[in-house]
Amino acid sequence: MAAKTTTMIETHDLSKAFRIAKRRPGLFGGMRSIVDPEMRTVSAVRDLNILVERGEMIGLIGPNGAGKSTTIKMLTGVLVPSSGKVTVAGFDPHRQRRALASHIGVVFGQKTQLWWDLPLIDSLLLLRHLYHVPAERHAENLAHMRAMLDLDEFIHTPVRQLSLGQRMRGDLAAALLHDPELLYLDEPTIGLDVVAKARIREFLLEINRTRGVTVLLTTHDMDDVEALCPRMMIVDHGRKLFDGPVTGIRERFGGERTLIAQIDPADLATLPRGGENQPIIEGLPAGVRQVPAESPQVALAFTRDALPAHELVAWLGARIRLRDVTFEEPDIEDMIRHIYEDGLLLKEEEEAVSVG
Amino acid sequence: MITGITGIISDLSLYRRLIGMQLRTQVQYKVNLAVDIFTYFLVTMLEYMVIFLYFNTFQTLLGWHVGEVALLGAVVSFTFGLAELFGSGLDSFSEIIRRGEFDRILLRPVGALMQVASNEFRMRRLGRMTQGLLMFLFALHLLPALHWTFAKLLMLVFGIASGATIFVAVLLLGATLCFWTVETTELANILTYGGREVMSWPLSVYNRAFQSIFLFVVPLAFGLYMPVCYLLGRPQPLGLPDAAAFLSPLAAALFAAVAYVFWRFGVRRYQSAGG
Amino acid sequence: MPRKTHYYRFYFEVARASFRRQLVYRWTNLTGLIVNIFFGAIFSYVMIALFQARHDTAGYDLRDTLRYIWLVQALIMVVVPFGWTDLMLTIRSGDVVSDLSKPCDFYWYWFSREVGSALYYFLFRTVPIYLGGMLLFGIGLPGGWVSWLGSGFFLLIGAALGIAFRFLYNIIAFWIIEARAMVTMGQVIATFFTGSYIPIAFMPFWLRSITLWLPFNGMMNVPTEIFTGKLFGGALAFEFLRQALWLVALTLLARGIAAIAARRVVVQGG
Repeated sequence: MAAKTTTMIETHDLSKAFRIAKRRPGLFGGMRSIVDPEMRTVSAVRDLNILVERGEMIGLIGPNGAGKSTTIKMLTGVLVPSSGKVTVAGFDPHRQRRALASHIGVVFGQKTQLWWDLPLIDSLLLLRHLYHVPAERHAENLAHMRAMLDLDEFIHTPVRQLSLGQRMRGDLAAALLHDPELLYLDEPTIGLDVVAKARIREFLLEINRTRGVTVLLTTHDMDDVEALCPRMMIVDHGRKLFDGPVTGIRERFGGERTLIAQIDPADLATLPRGGENQPIIEGLPAGVRQVPAESPQVALAFTRDALPAHELVAWLGARIRLRDVTFEEPDIEDMIRHIYEDGLLLKEEEEAVSVG
Repeated sequence: MITGITGIISDLSLYRRLIGMQLRTQVQYKVNLAVDIFTYFLVTMLEYMVIFLYFNTFQTLLGWHVGEVALLGAVVSFTFGLAELFGSGLDSFSEIIRRGEFDRILLRPVGALMQVASNEFRMRRLGRMTQGLLMFLFALHLLPALHWTFAKLLMLVFGIASGATIFVAVLLLGATLCFWTVETTELANILTYGGREVMSWPLSVYNRAFQSIFLFVVPLAFGLYMPVCYLLGRPQPLGLPDAAAFLSPLAAALFAAVAYVFWRFGVRRYQSAGG
Repeated sequence: MPRKTHYYRFYFEVARASFRRQLVYRWTNLTGLIVNIFFGAIFSYVMIALFQARHDTAGYDLRDTLRYIWLVQALIMVVVPFGWTDLMLTIRSGDVVSDLSKPCDFYWYWFSREVGSALYYFLFRTVPIYLGGMLLFGIGLPGGWVSWLGSGFFLLIGAALGIAFRFLYNIIAFWIIEARAMVTMGQVIATFFTGSYIPIAFMPFWLRSITLWLPFNGMMNVPTEIFTGKLFGGALAFEFLRQALWLVALTLLARGIAAIAARRVVVQGG
């Protein structure tokens, strides 16, 4: 059965195509579509090769509809692949779905598995029976989770009354009580504030380090990936575009970040004006350029290798009084476009990975 | 063999725990639960009242006495309530599909059907069952000449168990349809609410094709109506022998097996088409 | 303040949108139609069997009774649609707040919505279901255009009564969080007293006397009896008076309660 190899996930030319019935318009068209459906085939995942070692933390990113969730569903055995091979924790996910289920944990950021109307503790206790966890082991894990995630402050509160961050902590505990070797996380920080995000990330790093749990996460948030994953994969249109180390990915493909500064009105008045009555900051450092923004804001786009963000803030602060400063990160869609434009990249990286 | 038995025992205890979660949820809304049970009680009472109102005008229905029709209605209603109690999770399965929660069910190491069935447990159905019981007693009062034998008692148990099994299997068929479309969930109502209504009247009321369908295709009449005929001492439908009523559990088991196979087929289709 | 005609235009558009929304759910509606026809068939068989015992009762022979049964099935969705919790759901989700702040009357807004769907159900349920009854049980078409016209007029009142009634049992959700049980209760009461379980004419005297004075009588029984030719002449004027009074009373009640509920939302912020 689950031989203890060093490989956690391995897929070979994994593909999934859906056959979708097209609907004819009108009532009679609808009836005809049932008897004589007109089908078209949509490729959701194409020839995907993934190799994940035990203990890795890997980020899977891509725009909506890129094939991320189809991939996860095939890795968990919920969905049957159209072709290709897949092995997870030594199991064939589809054929051995229920056996595999005991070895993996899954958290969906937008859907809780907790019982909505009952106190959190009730769900955590019930899961022992759903996963057939030995009582002592369960008690031990529960105590550990309560301490690590500070669950005690709300463990007796009905789940529907929890904040999003608290609920996510509850869901993480629920997914880990049966000692899974592999944890899938789907948008684990979506909708959370900065503090809650940081806390979740810290916890994930901790369980990866102390328990050796392999973590595969899908996300829209590049910060998640940068904070957690040494390695990431970018997929789009069902294909793998990039697979490699995260370091430097944003610098290479991320384009520019944007600093948006709220200027004190008194100082704003002293600034010279350019086209469309935009205030102009003069003498910008190299690699920084001004982009249009709504008054009383000023927006500066800059690349990371130009200068660190805090230095730019200091530079600007020395010239004018700032009310507030925010940063806009380049979004994933932007990055993917860059990677497309840099067409040969994937080949090059794959070679690098297989050599290294 | 031994592992099979311990498997079933552990499944049953898990089922009990999952239902327990549902009960704890409902107890949280006490006022609502009370109104719910009362409403259901009222609904059922009105249904019975209709029988008496019709017999007030018509005295007999193809030779059936009011007490006999009332007893039939009571057994059907009790059985239906029992089936709804255990099958409510199946009844609301379209919601699980709509909200995309079936993936979660497949991600757990226990059977999907058990998780779906225990996803809801409508206690208000107790209102219908209580009412059925009361009505049964009242019908007995109207039927002083009815003699009970061991065989008849056994037949009553057969009828309720087989009938409830078939109703649950019908709910399972309706749930399975949701793997293809959630727009036609009402279609199952023809066999559940419709089937209950059909069963509540002597089968000889309907035309032969109709009777055959409910005897041999969706064997509600075989499982539920024939045992009731047996204990009332009425002739069996379509000239079937009286002893055929003893086969009612077999009919129920067969139909349930077909429904289960269809369900498995539906799950497989979900796994290849992705809901 | 905009001119009055703008308001009429708005309500007309609301009704039209609601009519069109029904068109989208064609599968749901088709299955609903099949379910209605199925129940019509069952009740018809039961009636045919019952009428073996005697030829006629309360002035109804078998054919009158079958017509009554099929009209009830045909009109249910127009007058007392089963499972109507639309308003209740907006109260639970909080969407009701935006409806309350629309520059129109809250009650007439819902009324227009329901008029739109009632028209849909009349065209795509009432007509095909009655045709189904004609085909399966040969019930034919009674009377002539005068009774059809009268029946149609009273159906308008019946539909309006139905809207006011369902508005009332839904708006309870402002005070009770889980009002589903109240909805079921409201529906069961309506189903019984509209004559859907047993024709009102078949009820024993004491029950019939009460039922005839209830607003439910005007929802289905009156239009149906006019259609089948059981109710005509001077009795119509009396029936009109009775039902018009109920309509005014229920509408005022519904609007009054809506106003109280609206104030509650303003004070508590939803």
